Amino acid sequence: MKPFANAAGLSPDVISLRQALFLATGGGLTICGILLMVSILEGGGFTPAEWVLLALFIPLFGQIAFGFTIAFWGFLVLALGGERYEIMRTLPETGEAEPPGSTAVILPVFNENPSRTFRGLENMVLSIGQMPGGKAFDFFVLSDSNEPDCWIREETKWFQLCSRLNAFGRIFYRKRRVSLHGKSGNVADFCRRWGKRYKYLLILDADSVMNGETMLRLARVMDANPGVGIVQTAPQIVRGRSVFQRLVQFATRSVGPLFAAGSNFWHLGSGNYWGHNAIIRLQPFMEKCVLPELPGRSAADRHILSHDTVEASLMKQAGYQVWFAYLEGGSYEEGPPNLTESLKRDRRWCQGNLQHFWFLFAPGTAFANRIHIFFGLMAYLTAPLLAAFIGLSAWDHYWKAKFEHLSALSTDPAWTGSGQASVSLLRLTLVLLFVPKILGSIHLLPRAREFGGILRSIISSLLEAVLSILLAPVLLYFYTRFVILILLGIKVGWKTQNREDSSIPFPDALRTYWGPTFAGAFLTGATLVWMPSLTLWLSPFLAGLVLSIPLAMWTSSEKAGRGLKAAGLLVIPEEMSPPAILENLEGSRGAASSSREVASRAGILELAISPEVNAIHASLLRRSRVHARHREEYLAGLRQRLLAEGPAHLSHREIMSLLWDAGAVELLHREIWLLEEKNLNPCWRAALRD
Amino acid sequence: MDELAWDDACLRLEDYLRAHGVRPRERLLALTLEMIRQARGMHAKNPGKSPLETTMKLVIDRTDAWFSTLAGAPERTVRARVAFFSPSFQRKWASEFWVSSPPEELLAEIRNATIEAGPALDFQSLVRKEMDYGAMKDLARETWGQFSWSHALRAFLLWLVVVLVAYGAYLRFFA
Repeated sequence: MKPFANAAGLSPDVISLRQALFLATGGGLTICGILLMVSILEGGGFTPAEWVLLALFIPLFGQIAFGFTIAFWGFLVLALGGERYEIMRTLPETGEAEPPGSTAVILPVFNENPSRTFRGLENMVLSIGQMPGGKAFDFFVLSDSNEPDCWIREETKWFQLCSRLNAFGRIFYRKRRVSLHGKSGNVADFCRRWGKRYKYLLILDADSVMNGETMLRLARVMDANPGVGIVQTAPQIVRGRSVFQRLVQFATRSVGPLFAAGSNFWHLGSGNYWGHNAIIRLQPFMEKCVLPELPGRSAADRHILSHDTVEASLMKQAGYQVWFAYLEGGSYEEGPPNLTESLKRDRRWCQGNLQHFWFLFAPGTAFANRIHIFFGLMAYLTAPLLAAFIGLSAWDHYWKAKFEHLSALSTDPAWTGSGQASVSLLRLTLVLLFVPKILGSIHLLPRAREFGGILRSIISSLLEAVLSILLAPVLLYFYTRFVILILLGIKVGWKTQNREDSSIPFPDALRTYWGPTFAGAFLTGATLVWMPSLTLWLSPFLAGLVLSIPLAMWTSSEKAGRGLKAAGLLVIPEEMSPPAILENLEGSRGAASSSREVASRAGILELAISPEVNAIHASLLRRSRVHARHREEYLAGLRQRLLAEGPAHLSHREIMSLLWDAGAVELLHREIWLLEEKNLNPCWRAALRD
Repeated sequence: MDELAWDDACLRLEDYLRAHGVRPRERLLALTLEMIRQARGMHAKNPGKSPLETTMKLVIDRTDAWFSTLAGAPERTVRARVAFFSPSFQRKWASEFWVSSPPEELLAEIRNATIEAGPALDFQSLVRKEMDYGAMKDLARETWGQFSWSHALRAFLLWLVVVLVAYGAYLRFFA
């Protein structure tokens, strides 16, 4: 058998065979489930409610069956020695003398912690600097931050980093005045300005880190395969501090590789793109992957929120392959610190994925991309479908039990759930749900030492399974709510992800999770009164809802997370032997100060006082050639108020108006040094003393 | 009272020089004394302004003029300021702050310093292409184009009646 030397040489027969195997496994399991369900329901003849139940059951069971299928094939691929068709295998073993194609490494940021972002960037610049061919890489921090303090601190960090590493001309910083179309608009803006200068675009998130060797290998694999448009890596989730983060990072390391290998097994060169930790061929990206407008009434409706899946589809339509380099190490990211932050992100993703519905039937979309889009849709649509299924099943069970009781008939096993078909379906469902987790644990065993040892890795897997079961109904509740809100047209804001503060205080937990708690308590009561025989079956579901407040609070705890780490539970290899690229990433939120206002407004206070910060900021602004008198009078008034009343008394818009004007910023600096203390607001006095 | 005001001016001036990274301390004190002396002279001629304001105006004007000299052209002044604050410059030239005739080496370094926030622009226009969404788009457009709540309500009631009649028929004849 010839080695896999070039992605272009991938035979269509291989793709067809793989997709046939994948669909046959998933489809076969789904048909088994449907047949069992039909035999359960037809016990007393089909009622309209049972037809609806069956209609709901098919997509729900299909989702579980295909999830299992991906994990199953992934396990087989890994157990049999790895994937033959893995894009990184096409890397030539020699020939590293040639520098790779010019690559722009971009970090789009939006009000992230600048300390953390720039420490990660520093590690990456140092790492690629040690590589032959590292000079082909330029780094761009593309800021859309609209928090003044964050903006100022980003600029200062950029300047300090460039000065420290003597990297002016290699590390760049760009702040957009109008943050049009969020992250996709940010990337498009980069492409418009500088896209032509580079061959490849390596896109990262603010919390992503990638080591130099991986960056270099990605650029080289693109060089070796001109027909490849995107190579997506599988970023490892690291630096988990809270229980929730540790849970996610462990899950992605135990079952994650199975799903990654299984995904690559069926899609091969028709993979998906996740929007970060991926390398993109710029020319076709700029020519063929400009995001289209969606059908919609308003401009906001027409804008695509989740751009990545669409871009992968457009790249494929343009004739380029999209690969998943799932075995490539050295690619990292961080997870949301707690359940609430994770739900915030899910709400954004939910809206984005639902928008992809339009592409599901669009002519020209490749088959594999339609499957990606469908899975993306089902990731969220499953929740309301499952809620409806559970509700209708309970309702159906209640009426049948009542009728049976009134008519004093003998117990029909199909109705009570004790029939052979019911048991078989239950067994099949449990197998499909839990076997991937068991396979994940088996996959870990040979490397158990890296996960804390055999016993601890097994306990970690069990703990992960239990917590996942308890969290699942909470996700179900919120996903159902998100889908309904979005379908009703209630807009979702593009909020910053809080990647730093983890703990959820009780009032916040109560405010967020009173809904699932109330729903859980009501359903528990209703089940106990009207359907006591179902209580035991529904107990994991009900417990997750009832316990959602303490669950959210406990999983957000960093103290508990540290306790688990100390006990060797939910640990990952990067914690046992941390790679250099992840060192010193802890970022401080702001400058330490005696005054609370000084600390919270550190950026803007420094801008006014520090000649260094002021000069950096002014140098990065474009100077207006027109000096309108009314504008200057307006800005003078703002400066006067800012100095007399402090930043807290100016609106966000007023502060941004000042900050976008280089002349006003320089005058502010001059005026603060000229004013006597008695004429300054106390916060300025404190800042001057600091 | 007046001496207290001069103390304030002196402290503010020291803070200002420290913020500019002036070192060593001996040079900082020497510059402070020199500027306070000049400010006292000016204040004697124009006592309307406070000692702090007189001193700091003198100081800031001198700083602006010094950076202008370093930059060589007004439009490059802000860049010269930024360059001066980079750690390598601070290590080498902090003690030269305000010197009346800056060394040639300092001038050359400042004027050649490259502090680029971005490479030269090379514009590429990104052209959005019309996407064919197929039949779903036409269906949606037709629905939205004709949608009204009263129509929707009437349709809902009609279908409700149909479903109830069908369910009744089922119960009556088939159940």
